[in-house]
Amino acid sequence: MTDHDHKKTARKTAPSTADNYLHIKQLSVLRGMVLVIRSLSHQQSAGDICCLTGPNGAGKSTLLRTIAGRLPAAGGDISCAVPIIYVGHTDGLSGAISGRENLAGWAKINGFLTTETAIDTALSSFATNRFANLPVRVLSRGQRRRLALARLALAPANSLWLLDEPNAGLDQASSRILDDIVQKHATAGGMVLAATHFDFAAAAKPRSLHLPGLVT
Amino acid sequence: MKPFFAQIERDLLIAWQNRQDLGVMLVFFVIIIALFPLAIGANATVLDPLGVPVIWIAALLAILAGFDRLFAQDVRDGWLDQIALSQLGLGWYALAKAISHWLTAGLPLLIMTPLMAMMLNIPLQQWPPLLVALLIGSMGLTLLGVIGAALSEGARRGTALMALLILPLAVPLLIFGTLASQSDRGIISPHLMLLGAVFALLLALAPLVAASALEIGETETGL
Repeated sequence: MTDHDHKKTARKTAPSTADNYLHIKQLSVLRGMVLVIRSLSHQQSAGDICCLTGPNGAGKSTLLRTIAGRLPAAGGDISCAVPIIYVGHTDGLSGAISGRENLAGWAKINGFLTTETAIDTALSSFATNRFANLPVRVLSRGQRRRLALARLALAPANSLWLLDEPNAGLDQASSRILDDIVQKHATAGGMVLAATHFDFAAAAKPRSLHLPGLVT
Repeated sequence: MKPFFAQIERDLLIAWQNRQDLGVMLVFFVIIIALFPLAIGANATVLDPLGVPVIWIAALLAILAGFDRLFAQDVRDGWLDQIALSQLGLGWYALAKAISHWLTAGLPLLIMTPLMAMMLNIPLQQWPPLLVALLIGSMGLTLLGVIGAALSEGARRGTALMALLILPLAVPLLIFGTLASQSDRGIISPHLMLLGAVFALLLALAPLVAASALEIGETETGL
């Protein structure tokens, strides 16, 4: 399957949980001339939380970006029919406008619920209300991360969350909120794949997918 | 259509926060125009026929000067990743970018033009063809700029590369635009129609070209 096809299927919303899966078969990804991911297979279905572990440069971010359709696969197959929510290294926030405007704009381009109360609820999920009306450029790293993660509260229940180092820059209270929100999402039938060095959603006993490191 | 307008709304909000950029662009436009008479000298017989071309060259440079950061900021912020996963495709995103850029650069420039026409002593009956041609021309230049910005995205020294790529392509717009502006047979001249044809072609092509350029650029340079 080409990169393009994959994205088309990813945009469709699946109503039943039967379609709620992520299948990766024999996936290989090249970065430059280096084969970062070789013949990786992985399966996830509704309610699964999976931690992506491995040393720096093992291809965790590359894998997440490939699933998100932002990098082409050199070989293999990814199929996923549910909406994908991606929170990467970069938060996807414009520094010039406020966190609230950023979040509302994001919800609108995705066609999610955008009433004032829905945005307020999403902002309060990570306790960002106090600084949500300030321009993002004056905020700290952790505050930006919390605004980026507040998107998760607007995501549809069946969506696949791809989280790249979601804990980076977060304080302990926010990490607990993140664990909580991830577990709730899994209980509601969603899927989470998170690259992380920290203990993540430990109470839910997440599965783990280990990437061994550079393959040359 | 809602995601499309949401993208325009977001860009306009950001442009409003960075509104000093607009001031810089307008001053740049005025300065280029003001420099020509200084270099040529106070000779009315030489200066009079130069009014319209000078406005066109100044508009071309001022519009294209603002393009280097069109996509760069969104790529750095990670907004492009969010766009690629959203209901708004990269093509519509590029078109939304073009519209918001025209509203914040082309339109203010057009509003300034009568003032510049007065300064250059362009006769009043020439104003309507000049403004109509500049309206279409500025929209065409904006679309060209979107192509250039998308192609040079990810390349180091993108700004210089973009000028090299785009300025030759701007030649048809410049030729038909200046001819249409100086038409003495009313507003609708054959040159204006040709200018419109170039614009229509760009309108169809620019979003597609920009979308595939952004797709490739991201693949090669992504984090």
